[in-house]
Amino acid sequence: MSAQQIPNLNTLKGALRPGGRVRGGRLRDQTTSHEAGEDGEARKDKVVQQTDGDASMSRMSAVDLGYLEDPFARPFIQVGTYVRSSAIDLLIGKFLATDANKPKQIISLGAGSDTRFFRLVSQSPSLPIVYHELDFPINTAQKVAAIRRTPRLLSTIQSSLSQPEDLKISSSGDSLTSPTYNIHPLDLRVLAGDQSAPKLPELPNLSSSIPTLLLSECCLIYLSPTHADNILQTLTQRIIAPSTPVSLILYEPIRPHDSFGKVMIANLAARGIHLQTLQKYSSLFRQKTRLKNAGFVGGQGAADIDFCWERWIPDDEKERVAGLEMLDEVEEWRLLAQHYCVAWGWRNGEGSQDEDVFSRAWAGMESQRNDEGEDDG
Amino acid sequence: MSDLDKAIAQLRACRPIPENQVKELCYKARELLIEEANVVQVDAPVTICGDIHGQFHDLMELFRVGGDVPDTNYLFMGDFVDRGFYSLESFLLLLCLKVRYPDRITLIRGNHESRQITTVYGFYDECQRKYGSANVWRYCCEVFDYLALGALVTGCAADLPSTEAPWVGSSGMPLEPEDREFEIEIFNSANEVTNRYPRANPNSNTITSNPNPNKPSTDPPLPKSPPPTSSPKPTTPSKTGLPGTSATSSSSGSPGNSSGAVLCVHGGLSPLIDSLDKIRLIDRKQEVPHEGAMCDLLWSDPDEIDGWGLSPRGAGFLFGADIVKLFNHQNNLAMIARAHQLVMEGFKEHFGSGGVVTVWSAPNYCYRCGNVAAILELGEDGSNGGFVQRSNGDAGRKRALGESGGGGGAEALNGMTGVRTPGRRYRIFEAAPQDSRGMPAKKPVADYFL
Repeated sequence: MSAQQIPNLNTLKGALRPGGRVRGGRLRDQTTSHEAGEDGEARKDKVVQQTDGDASMSRMSAVDLGYLEDPFARPFIQVGTYVRSSAIDLLIGKFLATDANKPKQIISLGAGSDTRFFRLVSQSPSLPIVYHELDFPINTAQKVAAIRRTPRLLSTIQSSLSQPEDLKISSSGDSLTSPTYNIHPLDLRVLAGDQSAPKLPELPNLSSSIPTLLLSECCLIYLSPTHADNILQTLTQRIIAPSTPVSLILYEPIRPHDSFGKVMIANLAARGIHLQTLQKYSSLFRQKTRLKNAGFVGGQGAADIDFCWERWIPDDEKERVAGLEMLDEVEEWRLLAQHYCVAWGWRNGEGSQDEDVFSRAWAGMESQRNDEGEDDG
Repeated sequence: MSDLDKAIAQLRACRPIPENQVKELCYKARELLIEEANVVQVDAPVTICGDIHGQFHDLMELFRVGGDVPDTNYLFMGDFVDRGFYSLESFLLLLCLKVRYPDRITLIRGNHESRQITTVYGFYDECQRKYGSANVWRYCCEVFDYLALGALVTGCAADLPSTEAPWVGSSGMPLEPEDREFEIEIFNSANEVTNRYPRANPNSNTITSNPNPNKPSTDPPLPKSPPPTSSPKPTTPSKTGLPGTSATSSSSGSPGNSSGAVLCVHGGLSPLIDSLDKIRLIDRKQEVPHEGAMCDLLWSDPDEIDGWGLSPRGAGFLFGADIVKLFNHQNNLAMIARAHQLVMEGFKEHFGSGGVVTVWSAPNYCYRCGNVAAILELGEDGSNGGFVQRSNGDAGRKRALGESGGGGGAEALNGMTGVRTPGRRYRIFEAAPQDSRGMPAKKPVADYFL
């Protein structure tokens, strides 16, 4: 099965969500009138849960226009989504290609309707990979239901399994487990609790000892800095053993203090979206420092999306993308692209052959210089 | 009140006019525009505006800051439509004003005045939404085909007229107007002067109202708005200009107060065009082609390169200072004014005095960019006994009316162009306040990659 055949999860959503509509007023409607009965926290959560709609709509457009090999609907020009996906794919690809035959694990935080697992497996079905997605139960239920109803998605998962019956879906319908692909219904804030609490949520098939890549695409940023930091502590110290190589890739907005950033914050706030860690982790330098402080001491890198486009995307690929249409948004695109970053950091393991897998995988990744006035000490 | 005046009043209230009126308006506009040359002749004083992009309420703010039509003579350099929510009202209002006051407003074509681009960037959808059919879009596109490709502004004053506007610059008033000639003056939207630049070496740095510290330049810096903590005496040149530069020599042969002509186009230059006459020869009454001279005029950008470069936009070219210098010299131009590129500070002077200026008139572009907007006022030269230096871009007829004939020659080769640049008054303005929009603020389209 080719990547083009992977159905668009977002178009499957409408049938599932009562009154579910696509873009344009959905956020506003659902956060005001007909949910007036809900308490404030639940309402805020709902807004965050639905940001997945924005991201998947963007992916749709990018695919439609031919940027990405991943399927989707109309209308914007989404070089941004293309570069974001390509940059993260590049980092993940280098990880998977290092000691390619050894088992590896990816944990995607707040994965939403992301289809990265399906893309990876359809490209190479024999990848020795265990993939986990963690998200709100309301989001995982939609995704599991979509997978259930879609034979091609099911068969993609099954193609990665030695025994098709290893794929299990919970009776509640919000959890999917298998030796390769897992969807866990989990409010991440559960992991932000007391670090010494004896009980951790059950995450089937999650290994504490194989090299693990954590992925947060606009996820941790919605949490308070304390929660976000604690979740990383729980993941890297307790869920993954301290001796296991582990890394984190972040994709988040940055630079909230210039005029574009200020308008961005105001516009998102008008939609009820608050990027809680943005002020604290506001620059490439601060993101790298954050990674180091979170225990990813093996190395850290960061680059904004503009830099990724200029430096990471090969020229022929850039030409192909630029040729998809007349791009009359060059300045606006650069502005926008300078306000999102990819940051990555890792720690090496102890006592195994592949303890330095991330050092080797990402040694050649080109990081961007810090903004003026922010020097690595 | 005539029907046209009624339509103007209705559009000023941001209410669309009926389809049959649009049809009639577009017909009249075409009759008017078909008579215009590819390069329209415009006499100073004139206020030059950049991209509008359907930001109707900001266009109203522009008129508040710059003066109303017909009191102020306007030149709009294209990109009236697309991206904003009110392309229809913005373009139709400008068109009504054009038909009502043809000599007080000039509209030239931008790259968005095109069938192909408007179907992608919003104007087509807006017309469909507001009229339930594509008829109005079709009428407007027919008008687009008749818009001029450029304008030549002549009769500009080299110096800036004195102003009663209060100085609110960050460094007190460091420069005494009686001592020196100012070339550039920057006003805020409250009609206060925030900065002034004396005439200086034309080959020095890029100017914006708020220099970007992230863009170091190898050129010696021009006096810029000093930081609040700096000395009140910035290191400005003590003379009005260096010998052999445009400040002391001009093709007019005498210092006077006249300046050379200003070519206005939406985008920039084309490798296929070395003279204004080549522009005049284009058969412009067509959809904007994907390539060629007409396309380049609407799509190209100046850049810090030598010669020509490929444009990241996929249409038009990048052109360097050397290209501008040669073109301006050969066509006896003082400078080029253009729009097309978002500039956070509203305007940008490229390649020093006598080069290219970008004017951008859509504040907080797309309701998310956080930029300010600018318009550029060029004053009228009243010092030459009523003669206007008619530069027609023909190098062989440089000694035009009003020129003494003594200058020119080798002297005119000096500096960027050898022609005095007009005094330039930029007015900076911000996006109209939300509550002036008179209706619930539209949510920004989903356009952050979360």
